[in-house]
Amino acid sequence: MFDYDLKLALRSLRRHIGLSMLMVLAVALGIAVCTITFTVYHAMSTNPIAWKNDRLYAVTIDSWDPEKPADDEQPEMPPEQLTYRDAIALHAADIPERSLVMFKSERVLNPQQPGRTPFYTLVRVTHGDFFPMFETPFLYGSGWDREADAGPEPVIVLSRETNEKAFGGENSVGRTVRLGDNEFRIVGVLDRWEPAPKFYDLNNGSFQEAEDVFIPFMWGETLQLPAVGNTNCWKSEQIESFGDFLNSECVWVQMWAELPDRDTRERYQAFVDNYVRGQKAGGRLPRPLNNRLFNVDEWLDFYKVVKKDNRVLIGIALLFLAVCLVNIIGLLLAKFLNGAALTGLRRALGASRKDVIRQHLTEVVLVGLAGGVLGLLFAVAGLAGIRAIYGDTYDRYEQLTRIDPVVVLVTLGLSLLAGLIAGVYPAWRIGHTSPAVYLKTQ
Amino acid sequence: MELQPIMRALWRNRTGAVLVALQIALALAIVVNSTYIIVQRLEHMGRDPGLDVANLFTVIFAPTGSNFDPEVAMRDDVELLRALPGVVDATRINSIPLSGGGSSTVYYTQPGEKGREALGNYYEVDEHGINTLGVRLVEGRNFDPSIVRRLPDNSSAFVPEVIITRAFAKEMFPDGSAIGQTVYDGLGQPARVVGVLDKMHGAWVDWDKLDNVVLHPVLTSERFAMYLVRAKPGQRDSLMRLAEDKLAAIDNGRIIHKVRSVEELAARSYADDRAMTVYLSVVVGMLLAISALGIFGLAAFNVSTRTKQIGTRRAVGARRFDIVRYFMVENWVITTAGVLVGCVLALVLGYWLSSAFELPRLKLYYLVAGVVVLWAVGLAAALWPARRAARVSPAVATRTV
Repeated sequence: MFDYDLKLALRSLRRHIGLSMLMVLAVALGIAVCTITFTVYHAMSTNPIAWKNDRLYAVTIDSWDPEKPADDEQPEMPPEQLTYRDAIALHAADIPERSLVMFKSERVLNPQQPGRTPFYTLVRVTHGDFFPMFETPFLYGSGWDREADAGPEPVIVLSRETNEKAFGGENSVGRTVRLGDNEFRIVGVLDRWEPAPKFYDLNNGSFQEAEDVFIPFMWGETLQLPAVGNTNCWKSEQIESFGDFLNSECVWVQMWAELPDRDTRERYQAFVDNYVRGQKAGGRLPRPLNNRLFNVDEWLDFYKVVKKDNRVLIGIALLFLAVCLVNIIGLLLAKFLNGAALTGLRRALGASRKDVIRQHLTEVVLVGLAGGVLGLLFAVAGLAGIRAIYGDTYDRYEQLTRIDPVVVLVTLGLSLLAGLIAGVYPAWRIGHTSPAVYLKTQ
Repeated sequence: MELQPIMRALWRNRTGAVLVALQIALALAIVVNSTYIIVQRLEHMGRDPGLDVANLFTVIFAPTGSNFDPEVAMRDDVELLRALPGVVDATRINSIPLSGGGSSTVYYTQPGEKGREALGNYYEVDEHGINTLGVRLVEGRNFDPSIVRRLPDNSSAFVPEVIITRAFAKEMFPDGSAIGQTVYDGLGQPARVVGVLDKMHGAWVDWDKLDNVVLHPVLTSERFAMYLVRAKPGQRDSLMRLAEDKLAAIDNGRIIHKVRSVEELAARSYADDRAMTVYLSVVVGMLLAISALGIFGLAAFNVSTRTKQIGTRRAVGARRFDIVRYFMVENWVITTAGVLVGCVLALVLGYWLSSAFELPRLKLYYLVAGVVVLWAVGLAAALWPARRAARVSPAVATRTV
């Protein structure tokens, strides 16, 4: 039965080959545009550490100007980062299972290997909890412990890429590298780790690469490392030294806490609020109490990782698909009605209404599937084109244009659905045409 | 005109006609709104930045450690760059305009955070800054070399004089010339305005204060410094390689991290806008093609199913022109209906875009242009099938039983 339907469908499609190709092309273009748009949107809206969404919290307090909010567009929100002194004070709490404060810096790294020249690195200055909290994969060795944090001990973790540049990719744990003027002992080398979006620090773009090396947080103060992320200040303060800067109301430090359950979270929120109240009593932090713990999803939302443009594009892509569908419905209808005489004959010879509808739907499904496959090819080509044009210069396009199995499945499902939606009415219509009308005139 | 029989025939086959009209309507809505977005983005990208973007490049370096003597090394580097053949000028600078990274601060017209205030994007340059950037000084003078100095690290020291853009001057000193006026930082430290620039864009291309730029006469500290070089027209790319090689050959305690053209940095800043423009243009192109093909396909199909009817009409005296006119009028009716519905859809979509995404409200002349284009596309697509219909021989009428 299915063989027969297929044979009929193929024959019918071949009879009007131009029209059939037009329909397949219409489905394909609609699907391609949707796939490309969905791929980029999906990549943007991914939570790269979704399984810890209810455990990881970005910690913020409203330390901003009494006169105005940190961001006029989101006036109910505190600033995204903390002052150095608040970060240090909040990190002292032992309520969270783990916690860290951190910032981004830069230094030249000298591998001290024959034939390898010094190179520039972005440095994440952070606590050892960074690695277990964000579940970074290690190629060699591991992170550092709290003792190393307290020292601070001269320990360093390299990214996989940095280890390749400095040591040709071999196990470098135990060796030392020079970072600026200081020697650091390598304790770990990360495996490839590219959280996209870069949820843990979204300050300089959502799709930046992770840093090249990681060192304990207290080195920041000891070595007077410059912060190269965002530094925002609301207060006019006399600053004469690095110490003055650390004590200023400028925000430039990020903080995360791992809070395993609701109870811990509530206790921690109370601790943060109490700390802020204490500071208020001392004359600092004049704004209304507004200290927020953001889980990762909320954090990505707060930073508006998914751009407005991409939401607009989703709407336009779906409308485009709708145009393609309407187009196909019209063409199918015309095509089916054109073949009505033949259908009438078949009905007169005993084919039931159901048979006729099924036969026509087979044709529709074929068009839908062919369009889906072709559309997927178009989409792959389109995404490769975007990568070719933009990939070199803008690494985020590299991450945003990766073909995703989820998107592929959704696309194929969509193409089938589109085909069916487009085909149901024409097939029904032809099934309900009285055979007599068509037999009579010919 | 045989409008009545056409309408009656259309009514009998209304499903097909309604589908074509609906397709045209949806296409119009998308085409009009997409074009509107495209034009806005093109305007956004096409603004005059006021500096010589095409010929500028930057050299980013990093000190390797305490063996770096900042003043000597940076002075030598800049002198080396200025002496290279093909270089117009070079300066030390704290960040690159249009690059998406920079510094801004609030300036006041009176000490103690009083008077008028405005946010300004500031750049630390020496007396070669204006010539290097390629900005035009329209009032006042350049910095005197003797006042260009280094500020102590981690300090809130201010500068004795500043050069500001016309946009910034207008915001701070709306009445009269800004030259000779004083601006104050948050701590009440004064600086005299000595020059006004015609125009200069700052760091963040989507910032509404992009035109508010202030130049500080400062030898930037090595923590933020990079070099900005202006090449003679056409020599930028070869100079970038030459500069990198020459600088890298000297070991004065720093490495050369990156050499980038300002054009590339600006393109990066505008990448989202460009992507949106390209994407929407492709969608609009495909949409017009699909609509045309759809209309064409349906019209051709209708012609082929009505061969007998056409033959009969020809046999009873209709001229070829009458047949063409019949199909063109039929198509015109469908297209017009589609375009009318499309106008409503376009306005609805435009309203949704402007309210949900804070895009500016759709301008009506875009709608008019869209209507004309789709009308033309609709009629053009029907032309070939209509002419084929006219070629049907009157004999067809007699051929079948």
